[in-house]
Amino acid sequence: MDSEDDMHDANDVESVDDGFYSGETAMDSDDGDAADYDFIDNDSDDSDDPISHRSQQNYTILNEDDIHLRQEDNIKKISSILSISNNAAAILLRHYNWSVSKVNDEWFANEEKVRRIVGLLEEPRALPSGKELTCGICFDVYPCDSMSSAACGHPFCVTCWQGYISTAINDGPGCLMLRCPDPSCSAAIGQDMIIALASHDDREKYERYFLRSFVEDNRKTKWCPAPGCDYAVDFIVGGGTFDVNCRCSYSFCWNCTEEAHRPVDCDTVSKWIRKNSAESENMNWILANSKPCPKCKRPIEKNQGCMHITCTPPCKFEFCWLCLGAWSDHGERTGGFYACNRYDAAKKEGAYDDTEKRREMAKNSLERYTHFYERWATNQSSRQKALADLQQMQNIHLEKLSDKQCQPESQLKFITEAWLQIVECRRVLKWTYAYGYYLPAHEHAKRQLFEYLQGEAESGLERLHQCAEKELSGYLNIDGPSKDFNEFRMKLAGLTSVTRNYFENLVRALENGLSDVDAHGGTSRTGGSRGLGAGSSKSRGGSSSSRNKGTAPTARSRNIDDSGHWSCEYCTFANAKSATVCQMCQQLRS
Amino acid sequence: MQASRARLFKEYKEVQREKVADPDIQLVCDDSNIFKWTALIKGPSETPYEGGVFQLAFSVPEQYPLQPPQVRFLTKIFHPNVHFKTGEICLDILKNAWSPAWTLQSVCRAIIALMAHPEPDSPLNCDSGNLLRSGDVRGFQSMAKMYTRLAAMPKKG
Ligand SMILES: [Zn+2]
Ligand SMILES: [Zn+2]
Ligand SMILES: [Zn+2]
Ligand SMILES: [Zn+2]
Ligand SMILES: [Zn+2]
Ligand SMILES: [Zn+2]
Ligand SMILES: [Zn+2]
Repeated sequence: MDSEDDMHDANDVESVDDGFYSGETAMDSDDGDAADYDFIDNDSDDSDDPISHRSQQNYTILNEDDIHLRQEDNIKKISSILSISNNAAAILLRHYNWSVSKVNDEWFANEEKVRRIVGLLEEPRALPSGKELTCGICFDVYPCDSMSSAACGHPFCVTCWQGYISTAINDGPGCLMLRCPDPSCSAAIGQDMIIALASHDDREKYERYFLRSFVEDNRKTKWCPAPGCDYAVDFIVGGGTFDVNCRCSYSFCWNCTEEAHRPVDCDTVSKWIRKNSAESENMNWILANSKPCPKCKRPIEKNQGCMHITCTPPCKFEFCWLCLGAWSDHGERTGGFYACNRYDAAKKEGAYDDTEKRREMAKNSLERYTHFYERWATNQSSRQKALADLQQMQNIHLEKLSDKQCQPESQLKFITEAWLQIVECRRVLKWTYAYGYYLPAHEHAKRQLFEYLQGEAESGLERLHQCAEKELSGYLNIDGPSKDFNEFRMKLAGLTSVTRNYFENLVRALENGLSDVDAHGGTSRTGGSRGLGAGSSKSRGGSSSSRNKGTAPTARSRNIDDSGHWSCEYCTFANAKSATVCQMCQQLRS
Repeated sequence: MQASRARLFKEYKEVQREKVADPDIQLVCDDSNIFKWTALIKGPSETPYEGGVFQLAFSVPEQYPLQPPQVRFLTKIFHPNVHFKTGEICLDILKNAWSPAWTLQSVCRAIIALMAHPEPDSPLNCDSGNLLRSGDVRGFQSMAKMYTRLAAMPKKG
């Protein structure tokens, strides 16, 4: 029962109810201390949308029509409040970065000053009187009726106006703040005049700038940074996270416009990005998509998202892409299903060629960075792969699967949801490696908790990824409907929900700076302690002596005892042999 | 092209008429090319450029007056906003603040104003800009005066 395969059982998924992994089910468990190990505020709704079921949305996605409407709306609002023309309202709003309230405040504080600054004359002046007038640009003389002027009355001929406006439009967005050509005059030129005089192409350019200005000069809106995406985002700052999920499916951080990076903060992201570009040369070889098989040395390309690699025949050696260790070692003996997120562990396994090369190449600090960077980048490319897989799934496979398994496509939604969850998890996991890199080395308890949580996350996600990738393909490449397809559905849906809960909890824990670590104090972990403890899942089986009796969580947990560690009586945390006090809960070794 | 030529021709005629009106500026159109002009301007009084005569070269683009002319000093001048080697001038109206209502004549006037009121914060000549910014007005003036004497005054004898 303690083999990995057992865990792939759909029923087993339900029973994996250690607090961290399943949120609400832990509450129902009759295991006495289950509630202690539960995370704060577990969302217990299993809403249909696996990604956006976080706190309420504090932003709106706008398409071009929405932007137009809002812009028009603001202009009309100002025009009616200040009793001025739409043109004048647009000039004012543009000048005050489309803030209706700012225009309001400034205007009513000192209308005269505002008029002077933006170039709005109170009393429009007509053209100078006389039958003929001299154009101020070409110096030719024209009859009065073929001249025009802005509100200031400075006369220019139509040809010169057209040239002036066209030059300004082709010079860039500055054309939105065009003034009268007379150097001594600052009268603003309204949109109506520009639209009337510009050529068709220039008018389109101008209108584009006008629309863009509403997004780009407005502090409340930004374009979605995804290449080729035309959506804008209107964001209400205050409360909630900065994460924005665009309708194009890209998610980004409102604050720094980098790709969404919860649980790490914007500063860490920019530090990390700077670090990466500084180290990029060293990293190039690591990014390579192929590595030598640790057994036969032939180059193996990683073409699937999951880290479990099988070498091509005849070798067929199964190994882990991250640490190049044998896959069969990735069980309990290495201290957990997925020990390779642990830097120290990876170092200990240093017998592999690749690791040795890395050692020669790098000094200690670089080696540490390499560890985190490689995992960061690997999750990134796994995420890209998962995105592509998701698309292929939606475009091709779902239909095929529907035919093969005689299931209506509407009932295959659980597959799309699983893939969406994988994509999101890869993103979170990726950033946990930047988090780990900057987690101070001296904070041992936090480090250990972090590594534990991350390891669990890796293994949980791998299970989901395996199931959605490899197991699913079995049902695709089959001739008739499979009897156990419903079991597969239950299993994948269960894994998706369990993994979603786990990752949401993980994100919260990391965002709180793993703060519960220090709060454990010396007493036992009851009462208010929120059981972020590394022991949480282990303790499911581990609070009694039944630890190794083969419950599912135990099979997954790290049985570190073999390697000389002692496990804490209270929290079951595995401590180093030399420690006399538990590093997690500070209890004395008994 | 035709528009710019017509406009330049108007300026040419105006210059002929006003020659006496502004004794500090002497604008001359190239004999064979109406898009090339030179100007002689007098250094403004009560500045280190007083007594000097400075030559400017104009190169007028085909989009003139919608686009500004290119102007540079042919005479060496020690001034924070003029490149000491190339004579290039940093002046907003020759760049983004250009208006098609400006003329070559008014550009000359703006350059004279710039000679009297340097902008040490956007220097093309760093030595000169630094002298002014560090408050060494006397140092700046003696350098500027020296170059005026060397380059902008008719040789005696
Ligand atoms: Zn005209
Ligand atoms: Zn005007
Ligand atoms: Zn987008
Ligand atoms: Zn950010
Ligand atoms: Zn092999
Ligand atoms: Zn591994
Ligand atoms: Zn403990």
